[in-house]
This record gives sequence, C-alpha cells and structure tokens, in this order.
Amino acid sequence: MFRYIVYTFFAGLSLLTGLSSLSKSQTEPIDLSEEQGIYTKIYNAPLRVYGESKINRINQLYQQRPLLLAFVYTRCTGICNPFLLQLKETLELTHSENNFQVLVVSFDSYDDTSTMHQAAIRFGLNNNPQWTFGVTDRIDSLNKSVQFAPAWDSIRSQFDHEALIVGINNQGYITKKLLGIRDIHDIKLMISSINNEFIPSYRLPGKNNLLSCFNYDPKTGKNTMAIGFFIIALPATITLIIILTIVLFTSKRKTL
Amino acid sequence: MESLKLKKITALWIVTVITLFIVAIVLGLLMRLNQAEVISEEPLTFYSNMTTHGLMMIGIWFVAGMVAVNYLLQRYVNTSYAVSVFAFVFTVIGVVMLWVSTFIGKFSTGWTFLYPLPFKDIGASSWATPLFLLSLTVLGVGWLVWSVAMMAQIFRKYSLSQAFAWQHLFKKNPTVETPPFILITTITLVGVIASLIAAVIVIILYFAEYFSIGGFVNDALLMKNLIYFFGHTIANEMLYLGVAVIYEIFAEASGRPKWKTTWYVSLAWNTALIFILTAFFHHLYMDFVQPQGLQIVGQLASYLASLPSAAVTVFSIIVAVYKVKTNWSIVNLLFFLGVAGWVIGGMGAIIDATISNNIVLHNTLWVPAHFHTYNVMGNVLFSFAFFYWFSTQNINKLIMSNLTRVTLAVLIIGGIGFLMAFYIGGANSIPRRYSVYPAGLASAPYLAKIGFTFAILYLAAILVFFFNISKRCFAILSTPSSPA
Repeated sequence: MFRYIVYTFFAGLSLLTGLSSLSKSQTEPIDLSEEQGIYTKIYNAPLRVYGESKINRINQLYQQRPLLLAFVYTRCTGICNPFLLQLKETLELTHSENNFQVLVVSFDSYDDTSTMHQAAIRFGLNNNPQWTFGVTDRIDSLNKSVQFAPAWDSIRSQFDHEALIVGINNQGYITKKLLGIRDIHDIKLMISSINNEFIPSYRLPGKNNLLSCFNYDPKTGKNTMAIGFFIIALPATITLIIILTIVLFTSKRKTL
Repeated sequence: MESLKLKKITALWIVTVITLFIVAIVLGLLMRLNQAEVISEEPLTFYSNMTTHGLMMIGIWFVAGMVAVNYLLQRYVNTSYAVSVFAFVFTVIGVVMLWVSTFIGKFSTGWTFLYPLPFKDIGASSWATPLFLLSLTVLGVGWLVWSVAMMAQIFRKYSLSQAFAWQHLFKKNPTVETPPFILITTITLVGVIASLIAAVIVIILYFAEYFSIGGFVNDALLMKNLIYFFGHTIANEMLYLGVAVIYEIFAEASGRPKWKTTWYVSLAWNTALIFILTAFFHHLYMDFVQPQGLQIVGQLASYLASLPSAAVTVFSIIVAVYKVKTNWSIVNLLFFLGVAGWVIGGMGAIIDATISNNIVLHNTLWVPAHFHTYNVMGNVLFSFAFFYWFSTQNINKLIMSNLTRVTLAVLIIGGIGFLMAFYIGGANSIPRRYSVYPAGLASAPYLAKIGFTFAILYLAAILVFFFNISKRCFAILSTPSSPA
C-alpha cells in the first residue's frame, strides 16, 4: 500500500511541475522599434530655451545629469498632452528627481521658445528646474539620430507621430527608448538605464535568428514560446528514439 | 570472466586517467597560486588554464566512470573491446586538440563555452574556437558511440522493462531480477546519451553561426539551456556511474552478500532519471527571460534528483556496515568516504539550487566549493576505489599498510582544507572566476593560499595512489596474451 502512496505522490508532483513549466515568460512585452538605435550617440543639437542663454546644446544638459528626452509639439490635439501629463505624474511618483532631468523638445517648426514656455506653464513645469522646454533649429538631425519620424498630415494639419521618450546617459548615448504612455515600472527602468545601471533585455528575433526561444507579437505585445524552446527537449527526444530503436532491433535476440 | 584484452584496455585507461588528473590538478594549483598573488599569470593564460582544467576534470571522471562500468558490465553482458579502444583513441585525440586550442590558441571561455563568448575577440587565436569545437566533437563522438554500444549490449539481454527494473515496482519477487548495477547503468547511460546529444546540437549550432558569417545567429537563451543540459547532466551522470560501481563492488569488497534491487531502489532510480534531466534549469535562475515555470522545475528537480538516489544509496551503505563485521580495505573505505563527500557536496548543491539562496551565492566561490566536494571527495574516491579493486583483484586479502592509512589521512585532510577555503570564500560572497581579486576582497588571496596549501597535500596523496595503482596496471599491460 505504501508504495502506491509514494507512486501517487510522484505522479502528482510530475503533473504539477509539468503544468507550471507551461507558464509564460518572465519578460515584459516590448515594442520592436524601441530596440533600434540603442547605444548610439544622440545628435548634439543646438537648443533654444525661453529666458535661458546658458544652454545652447543638448550635451550641456546630459553632461550635468542623464536626460529623458520627450518629443511633442504645442499644436498637437492628440497624444502630446496626455503623454506629457502622464510623464509628469509618473516621474513625480518615482521620487528620483536628483539623478535625471527632462528635456521636452518640439519637432514642429511652428513652435518657438515662447510657445514651448507657454506649454511648460500649462503643465505647471515652468519653475521646475528638473524640466526644460526648448526648440532646435536642427530638428531633422535630432529626429534622425533617435530614429523618430513624424509625418505631416495636411488634411488634419497634424503630425502623425508616436509618443517617444529617449533615455540618454551622461556620455550622450541612447540607453533606452519608450514608445507610448508607459507605466512607472518602465519609466523606472529607463531612469536606471540612463544612470548606467543594469537593465535586463533580451535580443529580439531577427531574420537571421531562426531559433529564438520566444516569438514576439507586436499586435498583442505578448511573447510566446518559439521553436528554440522546443529544441531544448530535442536531446531527450532523440535519446528516446535511439533507445526505442535499439530495443526494437534487439527484441528478437534476447538471451535472458 | 573478464577477458585479458578487456583488462589491458581498462589498465591503459586507468593509467591515462590518473596521469591526466595530475596534470589537471597542477593547472588548478597554478590558478589558486595566481589568485593568491604568489605568481602572476597573464589573464589570458589564467582563463585558458581554467578552461582546460574544467573540461579535463569533467572528461577524466566521466571516462573513469565509463571505464569502471564497461569493465563490470562484462559480468552480465558482452561488451565490445573494439568500442572501448575506439573511445580511448578518440579521447586521446580530443584531449590533444583541446590542449592545442587552449595552451597554444589561448581559447579561454571557461569549460562551459557560453554563447557568444567563443565568438568574442578576447585575445585567442582565430583558429582556436573551431579547434576547440572540433575537440569537443571528437570527444563527443567517441563517448556517444561508447555509451550507445553499452546500452545496446544491455538491451540485447534485458528487455526495456527489465533494464529499468519496472517489474520490481509492482511485484515483490519478480521472475526476472534486475541487478542494481544494470538498473543504475541503464538509467545513467540514458542521461549520458541525452547530454552528449545536447552537446552535439550545441556544437552544430556554433558551427552553423561560425560558417554562416552573420547569416545565422544563435539565441543566447537556447544556447545556455543546451550547454547546461549537456554540462550539468554529464557532471551528474559521472557521479552515478560511480554509484553503479558501488552497488556492484562495495558489498563484494566488504565480504557481504550482493545488494539486490527492491521496489524502492527501482522507484528511486527511475524517478531520478526524470529529475536529473531537468535539474539543469537551476543554472538559469539569473536569466530573467527564462520562463518562471522552468525556474520552479529547476528547483524541484534539483531536490528530487539527488534525494531518492542519494537517500537509497546512503541507506544501503549504512545498513551494510552498521553493527556488521566488515572487512575494511582501501577499496570499501574509499567508497564509504566517497559517499560521504557526495552527500556533503550534494547538500552544498541543494543550498545553491534553492532560488532564494542562489541570489546570494550565484557565481561566488560556493559554486566551485560544492562541485569540488562531490568530485574531489566523492567521485574521485569512487574511481580510485575501483582502480584499487581492479588492480588488486589477484590479491586474496587486501591489507591496509601504515603508508596507505597515512596517505588516506593526508588525502582527507588535504581535501577538506582545500574545500573549506572555497566554502568560506563563497559564504563571504567572494566571486568565482577572478584571475586576480580586487583590493576590496582582501581575504580572497589569503583563502586561495590556504586552498593551495591543502591541495598540495591532496596531490601528494594522489601521487602515492598513482604509484601504487599504476605499477599494478603496468603489470597487467605487460602480461603476455595466451596463445589462441
């Protein structure tokens, strides 16, 4: 009787462990384009900031403290306002105002220092030393260096663009990008990343990476197990086939 | 019983294994001396020595277990002499290729050759990586053919269920009894074959990337899983080969009746098979992309892989000697001490395989502490017990001389002192794989010096063993073959 209790225990345990292995990956879903252009240097664009003559270029900011660079424009009737508002509130929740600063740059040639200053007032950030609102005369080069590509829609008189934050460390390297309105977890990761702290990342599957362990679905933002994971079971499978083959070939020649 | 040809090839294997073991120990001593800041090696030299040391130790004690099992298997089934010679030739060629890739080519990724390190320019010659992979291919082919050949011989005599002793699970007195040696050997060979196939897949994937010149890149997570499927599993299986030998010889050497397979022995080893093949996941605790479920499997399998087989073996050994008149000789003493080392090292491994502990102990000296324990004071002693038994078969009664007693004491003191330096370092979070420790780790060079000193004692004892065993092995090798 005792042995059957032991067998049942092991059978149950095997079932449990088998089921638990089917649970999903620990990775957070990430956007493919966020991975592009990481660890390249940001274009050191000239800057103009309302009432500020000392700041002439971006490097003057990131050399002081690592930088979060946000792209907006003041005529925006879409994502820009909720994006900036959410960023402001999220950053307040991180309680880490000393180890980074924020630069908000307009990518619309319509904007100038005063419209950006008005935007800063509107968000209650005009007197916040952590935040800088500015414009640049070399926005195309800046956009190109972070692979940001807003497209003008003449029918709506609006830019078709993504809500982009670029994390830049104090050497001017892009360490992380975030697209869209993101939660505090992602923002904290970005702050760690621009302060040169380790951020876990997993190389995304490319055309030449045929045996990835995960498949990323950009539509759902989810990772699912891919062929690579099944290859891990291949040695055991081949061994089973070898044993069964041996057994098959030797079954008629038993000497016992 | 065992043929002279088999005896001769076994003797040749034994002399080769111990010679290579001494070379590998010297490399380890040099590493500890460098860490102790007594000598100053170039980092590249340190890491190529570390690579050679690690791979040689794994290879040596794997083949030592295989040699013993191959020899004893002859008692039950016919084993192939030709395959044993084939494996020997491939092993020698593989080791020479490995030495060229590390000593001359300065291949220095560590024996785990984790992706993408072999493709990184860390100072090795450009040809070193393909040569290293080729050396593994040669070793892998030789050992895989050997393992499959042994497995085929077992299945020639025993059916699938008999080889795995399944008839013992449900019947108290089955008509066909499976010897524990056959059961454990079968279980172990399954794991060996699986791990070698994992190595073959890894090598194929490495070569695919190497020759595609960017057209194909590997997935780091897949490679790490496969490398530890191979590395962890084979490191465990070589212990189980030693345990199979214990089940066959311990009782015999102690003048006791032979052990038999019971339902719990059968159950323990059959469940161990499953858990041995999945325990390697504990090497990926720090890999955040690994699915959480597999991390849990890794922890559970680590517990369950070691407990049934170890518990049953320890129980059997204790029952065999407790309050029983035992003929203690160097053979059963080495087995007995080896089991103790295996259990202590296993405890260290289980502590490290617990996720909450691994966060603290990962990549500290605790890791080499535990695996050196069940090798230096476990598997090595199993193999030396076999070597002694093999080389003294013609002697009616083995007498423990004073020299043997002293040698054994030196071996134990040396082994424990050497291991304690690792354990204390690990408990103090001193990292492993540092060629030179930074100034902040002031105790690390001091511990390395202590470790080195005790390792010298261990080496001295091994040299005495080598002398005793090899002179008898050379006598076997020089025995003239009787005319047909």
